[in-house]
Amino acid sequence: MLIRTPKDWELRESATTPETIYQNRRTFLKTLGFAGAAFAARDLFAATAGFPTTNNPAFRDPALKPTPYEAITHYNNFYEFGTDKSEPAELANRGWKTDPWTVEVTGLVDTPLKLDVNELVAKVGGIEQRVYRFRCVEAWSMVIPWDGFQLSKLIALASPKADAKFVKFTTFLDRKSAPGQADGNLDYPYIEGLRLDEAMHELAFIATGIYGKPIPNQNGAPLRLVVPWKYGFKNIKSIVKLELVAKAPRNTWQQMAASEYGFYANVNPLVDHPRWSQASERVIGGGGGVFGSRQRTLMFNGYEKQVAALYKGLDLEKNY
Amino acid sequence: MTALVEKLLRSKPVAWTLLALPGLWPLWPIYVSHNQSVLADPLKYVLHHLGFVACVLLATTLTFTPLRVLWPKWGIAQALNRHRRLVGVASFVYAALHFTTHLVYETAGDLSAVGGVLRTATKKPFQLVGLIALAILLVLAITSLHAFVRWLGGKNWKNLHRLAYVAAGLAAYHQAIARKIFPVQVLWIFVPLALLEIARVGKQWKQSRGAISSSGVARTG
Repeated sequence: MLIRTPKDWELRESATTPETIYQNRRTFLKTLGFAGAAFAARDLFAATAGFPTTNNPAFRDPALKPTPYEAITHYNNFYEFGTDKSEPAELANRGWKTDPWTVEVTGLVDTPLKLDVNELVAKVGGIEQRVYRFRCVEAWSMVIPWDGFQLSKLIALASPKADAKFVKFTTFLDRKSAPGQADGNLDYPYIEGLRLDEAMHELAFIATGIYGKPIPNQNGAPLRLVVPWKYGFKNIKSIVKLELVAKAPRNTWQQMAASEYGFYANVNPLVDHPRWSQASERVIGGGGGVFGSRQRTLMFNGYEKQVAALYKGLDLEKNY
Repeated sequence: MTALVEKLLRSKPVAWTLLALPGLWPLWPIYVSHNQSVLADPLKYVLHHLGFVACVLLATTLTFTPLRVLWPKWGIAQALNRHRRLVGVASFVYAALHFTTHLVYETAGDLSAVGGVLRTATKKPFQLVGLIALAILLVLAITSLHAFVRWLGGKNWKNLHRLAYVAAGLAAYHQAIARKIFPVQVLWIFVPLALLEIARVGKQWKQSRGAISSSGVARTG
């Protein structure tokens, strides 16, 4: 008889929402009939909550120690909800709706798609958990257990045409719900881009959850990009549109300050930011008492073996 | 009421307390309110806070002279001018703590890494500008001792201490580009100072012109 010891990240079967409740979640909420219900049940009924996550050991380095959940969800750069790292956790949860959510795949594709995020997750075959390093261009890092699916599966659904060379990603635009967008602290909506071969790489991921829970609004609900070998700002949040295009799209930060932020934004300890060194990084929630903790930054954020081939012959100093 | 405020503002112990309090502020989010965003990297919060306070105090001490020139009879302006030096030195102390915290933040306590951090600081205009501002404040803090005032002579001392304006300009630049996009607080820290200085220079220019023309009148008359 096989006795299976559940891993600490595993949700028990009993914790899974029964499909009937999930299907009728909005009616169910209504029948609860008190104001606090929507908030109290948020975790349970957020978009993509109905999908149990399973660990993918191929993408889990046992040497990596995940950052505490509280730090991951309260130390956020999401300028749509303020430029201070404490602001998104507060301002993204004041009535901004991330459920229901529609995603569109369009441009140079044979079968354009426009569907609900839950339908999409079902179509790509559910979600899995991967533990990735996360390195911000501001020289700090985390280790995050993401739940989601491989980006290549989503792109394959739309069947890109032969002349599609890049993927352009676009975030929602809702000036009423997003105070940063109302202020215009950046050019909105936020745009990011990947070369198609980067997007099709097995490490490129779409996250819909963290630590087995639906992704909180401040982390980019209900779905965001995760490209672990690139700086954090490439990981566009709350995506509404993927567009297959022939030319490299200009991403938002490149547009804001091209001398500081490029299109590739590959993590590279040898190429400094104009204002600071990228050779090492603060480890968020990494202990170390009053001094905190710092570690050397790895080439391609530790994914050199997997992704270096994508950039053969490319001058990484020029193409930062 | 104003008399009481003036009296309090004139008091050295009150000034010392007011200048020390901002240094204690980080204890609140770290130990009392347990702000999760601050706790993610508490030292980063301390680092930015100390630099911020240094900028505020530098801009504040420089407003005292224009306030007195513009409103010479205003008791509060007179009271504040008693503390010009103290507030200036406090700004230097916060700037020095900010720099020390930067060294600890960048090395996480590893002394062998200090050399590399200093080399980086001289290579990055953003950091170098901050270092130059700190060096100016250091010179001004040392020469603010009475003995130096006597040694340099009033005029030289005054000219040397005009470097405080250069330090303020450098500090404003350092703070303005510290973030990925322009931080608005730079405006409310430094714009009042700039406006007061313009008004002061305007007033003094008018007065000196008045003095010249009246002396001219005296000569012809």
